[in-house]
Amino acid sequence: MAKKPEQTASFMVRFHQKIFEEDGESNVQWRGKVSHVQGGDEQRFSDFKEAVTFIQEKLSELTLEATKEHSPEQREGILKKSLDMWKTVAQVGPKVIMDTIKDPKKQIAQIQDQIQDQISHLGDEIGEKVHIDQWRNASRSDFKKVKKSINELAGEIKKLHAKIDKLSKKK
Amino acid sequence: MSQLLDTLDKLKTFQKNAPIRIQTLGQFNLWRNNTKIDPKEWGRDKTIQLLQYFISNRHRHALHKEKIMDHLWEEGDDRDFKVALHGINKVLEPERPPRTEPTYIIRQGISYQLNLERIWIDVEALEKYVIIGNEALGENNTISKKAYKSAIEIYQGIYLPNRIYEDWSSEEREKTQMLILGAYITLAEILVEENPTESIRLAQNAISIDPTWEDAYRLQMQAYRIKGNRPQAIKTYQKCVDVLDEEYGIDPLPETKKLIKEIEEIS
Repeated sequence: MAKKPEQTASFMVRFHQKIFEEDGESNVQWRGKVSHVQGGDEQRFSDFKEAVTFIQEKLSELTLEATKEHSPEQREGILKKSLDMWKTVAQVGPKVIMDTIKDPKKQIAQIQDQIQDQISHLGDEIGEKVHIDQWRNASRSDFKKVKKSINELAGEIKKLHAKIDKLSKKK
Repeated sequence: MSQLLDTLDKLKTFQKNAPIRIQTLGQFNLWRNNTKIDPKEWGRDKTIQLLQYFISNRHRHALHKEKIMDHLWEEGDDRDFKVALHGINKVLEPERPPRTEPTYIIRQGISYQLNLERIWIDVEALEKYVIIGNEALGENNTISKKAYKSAIEIYQGIYLPNRIYEDWSSEEREKTQMLILGAYITLAEILVEENPTESIRLAQNAISIDPTWEDAYRLQMQAYRIKGNRPQAIKTYQKCVDVLDEEYGIDPLPETKKLIKEIEEIS
């Protein structure tokens, strides 16, 4: 019995790590290659988004190929559902990890900016920039913890804002 | 260290004397008692495919029949598996008396695995040579060189080139490519001072496997510098810049930039 390759897409993803010193600072760069096994195509990437796009394209092709016999309306519906599923995986999935893989410094800066944004609501007197040195060697779980803490902090700040507004109105 | 040398010699002896030898790199071939098997002996392609599947999964002990069938036939039945397995055993042991257990394909209930003590497989040997090379590196570079050279001699091309579209073969292919890239680069590094020409050739082989492998370009630049060929070193750097820009949209590493700066400063 013949196999049905049109129902399966396999991908091989290679990550190659480059750790280097630049301007007295340790850096890490990721280079990668994603290969579509059944089709033989491959794509190199230094930004993980490119790998995600490549996989998404191949999966869309797979869906289109498998729905050739369907009506245009059915095809459109199936493809939409297929893409929706993929979007959910890509977005709800390890976004923080992807961003961190792509650019850890940028990710730290983003977290720093989020903290800064929240702090700035409390007034200029405590608006001093948060130092990032101790976060340079942070792990993924540290980033997750920070993200969780930021969310909790944002909630608390909202409550504080509401209280301040209430007090201001009373005055 | 003498233990590593011993292991290296044993591997070489096994490569010569194993009753069954299998080549998977570059192309697929099998030798039974030093006689190359004619492709016609295999009968159907599924027989070869099943053996190649066993090779690709040789370290997953005791492969379950259902799992194998799932990968190779999808909707096949027991009979397909039995026919293919019988085909392998017939090629490996044509003289085996009826109702005796096969020597090379070990069966445990409904699980199967290759007898790696009796079968020499190029990918298996390549990995073992690279491991010896890595273990001896820095302690005894003579052994390291010997081991890496042995691995490189075995490498005739990618793993099972006619199965590149089969997902069960991808893992082994990727693993072997990384092993051989490592062997080329490390041996090129060891040899760069004593034999820069050979170092350039080895780095070039690494580039032919992965044109974006920056370490290989840097090694070539170093070797050209040692040979006093400044223009070629600069040309190599430019090629590296172009490839990295085209494939990744990035610059070379500071280490590579520093090296080209040093080369350019040579008057």
